Amino acid sequence: MVRTVYSPEYCLQYLEQYASQEIFVTGLILGQITEARENVIHLARTPEEKNSDSTSENSSVSDKAEAVRNLLGVSEAWVADHAKHVTRMLPGGMFVQGVFITSDEDIFEDPNYFSKVRSILNYTYKVLHANEYMYGNCPYTNERLVLHMSTNTKVLTCKTVEVGSNVKNTIIKPVDWKFLSKPQQWQRLDCYYEFDDVYPVIVKKSGISVKHQFQQILESAHKTIESSVMFIDGELRNGSEALEQLIKKKKPKNSSKSIQDMAKSMHVSLFVPFENSLPETVEYLECDGSIHFSGVVSSSVFMCPKATINEAIAAVKQDIVRSLASRFTMHCDALIDDNLLPEEKVCFNEPPRRVLVPVGTLYLCDYLFPGEAPAEALLSVRELLDLQITETDVVCDVETPADTSEFDALDRDASSEELLATPQEASQFMYITGICFAMLVLIVSIIIHYYDSILEVITKLLTRS
Amino acid sequence: MSPRLKISSYVIERLSNLDTNESTGCLYGLMYDGTLLVIGLSIELFENDKNTFKQLLLNLPAEIELCGVVKFGESLSMESSLKDIIQEVDITDNPLVILINKDKNMKAHFLVHDKFEETKYEVVNAEELWKQFLHVRLNTVLPLSCEATFSGVKNIMQNKRKKIASGQVSFHIDGTAVYLFGVASDVGLTGTNTEATIGELIDSKNPEQLSKKKKHNTNIVEIVNVNLVMKSTKDILSDKLVKTAVKMMTTQRKPAFCISMPLRVDTLAIIHRSTKLLDLYTVLVESACRSLRLLESVLLEQLGQEGIGDGAGLRLPETYHYLPQELGHFITRIVPRGIPDESMEKERRLLHEQLGLPLTKPIFRRGNAYSGNSGGRLLNPHEAIAPTPPKPDVTVALLRGRYAYYHYMQDNFNDDGWGCAYRSMQTIFSWFRYQGYTTVEVPTHREIQQCLVKIGDKPSSFLGSKQWIGSTEVMFCLETLLGVQSRIVFANTGAELQFYAPELVHHFQTHGTPIMIGGGVLAHTILGVEYNSVSNETRYLILDPHYTGAEDLTVVINKGWCGWKNSDFWNKAAHYNLCLPQTKPTI
Repeated sequence: MVRTVYSPEYCLQYLEQYASQEIFVTGLILGQITEARENVIHLARTPEEKNSDSTSENSSVSDKAEAVRNLLGVSEAWVADHAKHVTRMLPGGMFVQGVFITSDEDIFEDPNYFSKVRSILNYTYKVLHANEYMYGNCPYTNERLVLHMSTNTKVLTCKTVEVGSNVKNTIIKPVDWKFLSKPQQWQRLDCYYEFDDVYPVIVKKSGISVKHQFQQILESAHKTIESSVMFIDGELRNGSEALEQLIKKKKPKNSSKSIQDMAKSMHVSLFVPFENSLPETVEYLECDGSIHFSGVVSSSVFMCPKATINEAIAAVKQDIVRSLASRFTMHCDALIDDNLLPEEKVCFNEPPRRVLVPVGTLYLCDYLFPGEAPAEALLSVRELLDLQITETDVVCDVETPADTSEFDALDRDASSEELLATPQEASQFMYITGICFAMLVLIVSIIIHYYDSILEVITKLLTRS
Repeated sequence: MSPRLKISSYVIERLSNLDTNESTGCLYGLMYDGTLLVIGLSIELFENDKNTFKQLLLNLPAEIELCGVVKFGESLSMESSLKDIIQEVDITDNPLVILINKDKNMKAHFLVHDKFEETKYEVVNAEELWKQFLHVRLNTVLPLSCEATFSGVKNIMQNKRKKIASGQVSFHIDGTAVYLFGVASDVGLTGTNTEATIGELIDSKNPEQLSKKKKHNTNIVEIVNVNLVMKSTKDILSDKLVKTAVKMMTTQRKPAFCISMPLRVDTLAIIHRSTKLLDLYTVLVESACRSLRLLESVLLEQLGQEGIGDGAGLRLPETYHYLPQELGHFITRIVPRGIPDESMEKERRLLHEQLGLPLTKPIFRRGNAYSGNSGGRLLNPHEAIAPTPPKPDVTVALLRGRYAYYHYMQDNFNDDGWGCAYRSMQTIFSWFRYQGYTTVEVPTHREIQQCLVKIGDKPSSFLGSKQWIGSTEVMFCLETLLGVQSRIVFANTGAELQFYAPELVHHFQTHGTPIMIGGGVLAHTILGVEYNSVSNETRYLILDPHYTGAEDLTVVINKGWCGWKNSDFWNKAAHYNLCLPQTKPTI
């Protein structure tokens, strides 16, 4: 059977817009593949390649601009990097499914062009493979989409190309690409995955880096999440059932607002059994402190309603791990000091937090560093997704930045006993002052009360003398 | 109003056999349906700080609590020792006080408004007890890592208990779709209706076992396995939802030693079958917390010991459950891995004394631990035989404790026609393992042959052969592999055997080990003897190793592979040798 892909209609206009300008464009196809149906959610043009020293040398910029006029000038690494960054923005269950190209050459016929396409796909595959926790490569298929629109004829062709294998004869298959006039329905699944773990810091001879520690957290989180049991709306469901069947089941209960229910998100809860794979030994180590890893990863995934519960479960699990991996990578890339135990007694690492950005009828995400405004998200949406949104479109409250006062409190708490002693001393001082003040009030009131008699006594004394 | 009172027949039995110089004991029981059921007791050894009832409670299944005191003497009076214990009774407003005098006359009283009110009680026999109650066993592994200090361990254990009691954990009943939720969730359970009881769930789980159980009225202890899962997502609709994004805080300290280990929680609770599944949640939380307290005490004790004070020599705590026949309830012990039973005798002796158990046989060694796992072999098949009503002048003496039935063709090993004595020997060996005398694995045929070659009893050609062995060889092996001495009894003919009946009675009453008997071409295991002192009529309880069928209790009993045999079972013309393994008093 020919692989069929459903795409929103605006993608056609998007391609035509570039094709009609008769410019060469390459970009990524983002979508979701499930057993029942394959949907494309968005096409995102790969931004123009920027040369690092472009500002100093104008000539090289023009050279570069010249070079990317056709496919052969495209850098594989540049496209792969784009795919890497875009993957961070995708919720679980969504993947970079392939590339699109608008050009005047027939990329499937010309062997030079076609080998370039293959090379781009394979390079991207390799790059995305480097970090397994990013789930960059779609685990369900090794066939990537290649969509081509001829700038001359405006004819659209789509084929799949196999990646990741060393076979010389790459398998190429035709694809039936369909545009949908009506927007695709999505079932949203939400959860807040919570972390609250304390680990000892074990310093080996080589020292320890933040990156290394994050990697360890990621590994253990991945293992835990993989082993967890997932409930949807508080119930354990049959994994082979389709999501839409759950919606149907819900209907008769409150049939009046059934249409609203369709759009309502499902609440997911994850239950983790405690690890059984721990080594059966007592480890005895010298440690130099402790790590407290806490907070939430908000997760919103969007599934085609025909997808099975198992596919939805896999998507939620991918989403949490992918989000964690994205934050850690972004955080470590921005780090100046990678030492986990710097001079300070307490060290705080706050990776960027997740925000949601609307794309079509669903949401993708972006990450904001502490102190960054939502406007920053507009930038990455424009750069990486080739999309214009406004600041108000960004959903910023799915997660909140860490409260720094909380950190200060912890800092004080951990600093040592001397600090702890201070409030006690202070209160002691307050106590004594209080007593003194009370005494004073008493004396004054006695004086006032017996003012007459005291005066009398004094006058008597005075008259005697 | 004071509750109705029921007392387990085990407690009555123990009280009437108890011989102690102490003045007071503690009573343990559980409340169900307005009834107080007394399940256990201990003798309060006041001079020993560590073995107070508080510590002992941690060794008992959850739901069993301190419920009163037993006073050994003639009259009731509120002594301070009595008062101290009574103050700790939480389970009921009316603590129970049992008075038992020298003649073993027993009177039960409830303490109502500081006055003793004598009360009637009902005795619950063993069969009834196991029919009405079942055990829930919670298994989970909690990762533990903390500073290797007293405060480090105490803090982390307290945190773990807090976490478990926070309502965030859920429990999953093995083999079902039933999950129990805590207060952090909107619903109490899923997978069944909210009114369901634990008994109903178990019966629906395996209806065929129900009919089987009725057929052979053995006292099967029902254990429901449960595991723990932690809710790791927050409730989206909760007002208290804190959405702070993930962050990492590192606190530096002076370098210190840390321990990291998997903390295996394996804990029991006893509940009535009519307990609602909804109510099981709090029971399981309490059960987990009790286990954590016991684990904590074991870890702290290890940390306090010389040489491992810094944690370097800390060993993994391992949990064992025991169901001594004398007690009729479980005792859970946690011991450090790898420490031999022999070097923990002192602790066990104290426990024996506290529970009023005999000091002559092991009860709390690793081998004594309760296990449903017997490698597929039948355990104590003779218990399925309907007991004969007692007759005057007739003495019945059986082996004590547990053994596994070894017979032909087991373990995919064809020993049909030559391996009967080997199998009998294996049955005896399994008895020594189950009674805690040894942790050595039951030897295979080859290992038995190796042993005999090694001690020079047999030439090396014996190894791998299909040659028979007899009672003396069994004796040699037991001595070499276990250090167990045996007595050999020789009978010239099968008819002469019955002269030894009183001796066999004595053997079962004192040592209680299975006897191997070899005569002619056959070997059997004797599990018990019935002797009529007037008519000299003797019957033998035989376990036949020549059985080649499957592990089916019904077949084994109905076809007489395990059963009572008259004297004519023995060949009148053949010589017989009996190997009577002897036990030494030990704990």
